[in-house]
Amino acid sequence: MRNKEEIKALLEYFRATENKDLKFDEQAIYTAYEKNDDHQSLAIKILSIFGGILASLALLGFLFITGLYDSTAGLLILGTLLIVGGIFINTIYNTTILDTISVSSYIIGFVLLTLGLFKMEMTENTVTLICILIAAVSLAIVRSYIIAFIAVLMISGGILTLIILNHNFELIHLYTSLLAIMLTAIFMKEAKIITLHSVFSKLYNPVRIGLVFSFLAGLVFLGNDFIEVSGDYIWITSVVIILAIMYVLSRLFEVLNISQTSQKAGIYIVTTALLLPTLLSPAISGALLIILISFLVNYKTSLAIGMMAFIYFVSRYYYDLHFTLLTKSILLFSSGILFLGLYLLTHKKLTTNEKV
Amino acid sequence: MKNLQREDIYLISRHSNMSEQVIEKTLKENIYHDKKMWQKFLRLFFITLGIGFTTAGIIFFFAYNWADLNKFAKLGLTEILVIATTLIVLLPKINNTTRHIVLTGASLLVGVLFAVFGQIYQTGANAYDFFLAWTLFITLWVVVSNFTPLWLLYIVLLNTTFFLYTEQVAKDWPAILVITLLFLFNTAILLTFIFLDKDKKIKNIPKWFIYILALVSVTFATMGLIFGILDGYDPVFPVLFPIVALVFALGIRHGIQSKNGFYLSVIPLSIIIIISALLLKISEDGSMLLLVSLFIIVSVTLVIMNLINLQKKWNHEK
Repeated sequence: MRNKEEIKALLEYFRATENKDLKFDEQAIYTAYEKNDDHQSLAIKILSIFGGILASLALLGFLFITGLYDSTAGLLILGTLLIVGGIFINTIYNTTILDTISVSSYIIGFVLLTLGLFKMEMTENTVTLICILIAAVSLAIVRSYIIAFIAVLMISGGILTLIILNHNFELIHLYTSLLAIMLTAIFMKEAKIITLHSVFSKLYNPVRIGLVFSFLAGLVFLGNDFIEVSGDYIWITSVVIILAIMYVLSRLFEVLNISQTSQKAGIYIVTTALLLPTLLSPAISGALLIILISFLVNYKTSLAIGMMAFIYFVSRYYYDLHFTLLTKSILLFSSGILFLGLYLLTHKKLTTNEKV
Repeated sequence: MKNLQREDIYLISRHSNMSEQVIEKTLKENIYHDKKMWQKFLRLFFITLGIGFTTAGIIFFFAYNWADLNKFAKLGLTEILVIATTLIVLLPKINNTTRHIVLTGASLLVGVLFAVFGQIYQTGANAYDFFLAWTLFITLWVVVSNFTPLWLLYIVLLNTTFFLYTEQVAKDWPAILVITLLFLFNTAILLTFIFLDKDKKIKNIPKWFIYILALVSVTFATMGLIFGILDGYDPVFPVLFPIVALVFALGIRHGIQSKNGFYLSVIPLSIIIIISALLLKISEDGSMLLLVSLFIIVSVTLVIMNLINLQKKWNHEK
């Protein structure tokens, strides 16, 4: 939220950067700032989500006691009404104040609808598909941060559920590879996406953070034992992620002013050599990808998430290795020395570059 | 242009015909990290990974041989590590942040030392005296370095020591008494730091530190009151209640005076949870659950509405 003088200064700044043909709808900008409570403090976001969850729990308890669970029609009708209500409260009164109401209504609606559908003896697959469909439709309608975020999580959660229910575990490689490409594209093409349409610029932030979480979920599944992914195709995900990292590196060269082909080739080779040992655990390179793209666009939330994921996945990697402690110790020690060497090398290179 | 936020670019681009190139350029100049930041980041990234992996390698090496070492070697090795890190802290050439980080590492090693001692002489893990010793022996370092993460470690240790004492020694203390004492203790620390910050006795106390302390204090207050309500009003309850009421009132006042939305959202949320528990204590049937759910929605909405209005007011005043 800004006051009038600040908005004026902002518009002046933009006029100065592009003098020709730049048109503002100044009135709309002022009213947008006046109304704008999109950008709330974290405290308010957490307050509305917490309040929403607590209220939903109490309401679900009420419905349970009153015996609504016995009536299929009641569950279906109330569930649909609550989902629609949750979406429309947000589109009509576009304000953060009503977020608590719309979030709790949306979540309870989903729970009730799912229960109702199961009562109709539908298969788990159909129910999951319907949930994905509803989440996708609501993503197209809503403009609110929290609902869009929940809808993205619901869609990717639904896809993961489908993969697990049908024991098509190999599809998880497709899921993580596609998400790696989508994430890279969305982070790198920020300017293009938000200028395409005003809807995209409203949905950009929640969808971006939602996709980060979805990607992480895929990586966690790949790295854990609760689904049996055969090792035969695991390298596919790794290769896609490593290629994405290479693309990010090519963007990084522009920022760092590295133009010599030999230097570029050297960096590509060193990176590939470093990442090759992790070919069978794509989670590590995936977390690295999140760190790099988040730092490139200066997005702190997902940078922090990426770093935590990186530490977790690296420790799991060494924990899971079937070597003796002595071999592990040698492996760790030599990679440590390698990184220290890289530090000294880049330290020299980057400081000499600065002088030139 | 200083202070240009991502949200500003988004909002203005929605109401103008700015081209992709202009936005790309604005983002690059104002939001994205530049060459300098990347150099800093890469250096930090490599040195952290380097030191992290190398120490992990060394620790694994000792772990491999650990069972075969005798008592003297085990204790001696850990003590040498403590002494070596402390000596690094005393080197005149390193900068202050590194010095503090190394001292925090040394404080953790003191804990390791006591753990090794406990393992050799079978004093029993988790015993409160282990944490008491650890706390006591790093006190001087904490006070001298005045480094916030070290203070946080110290406060966590104090809380753990006290909690384990009530679990292992003072077993007959009622739970609400333990929670009340924890609440009083953490609130006292919080108030001390807030006043030190106000009087500029200690420079640069980070906000997150005060927020964590406040969250801990509010959490214990909420837990204590809910426990008292659901458990049939223990004799401690009449003491706890007025103190919590007073602290919450002061907290709200502090929030309004310092124009800080944090206190104004955490304290009302705690009050809402306590009132919901009270309502559920009165009756647990269906209509009460409906009432609780409506109460939460309405009260949270009111709190957020007030917060937004306050923020608008503060914004115009600045």
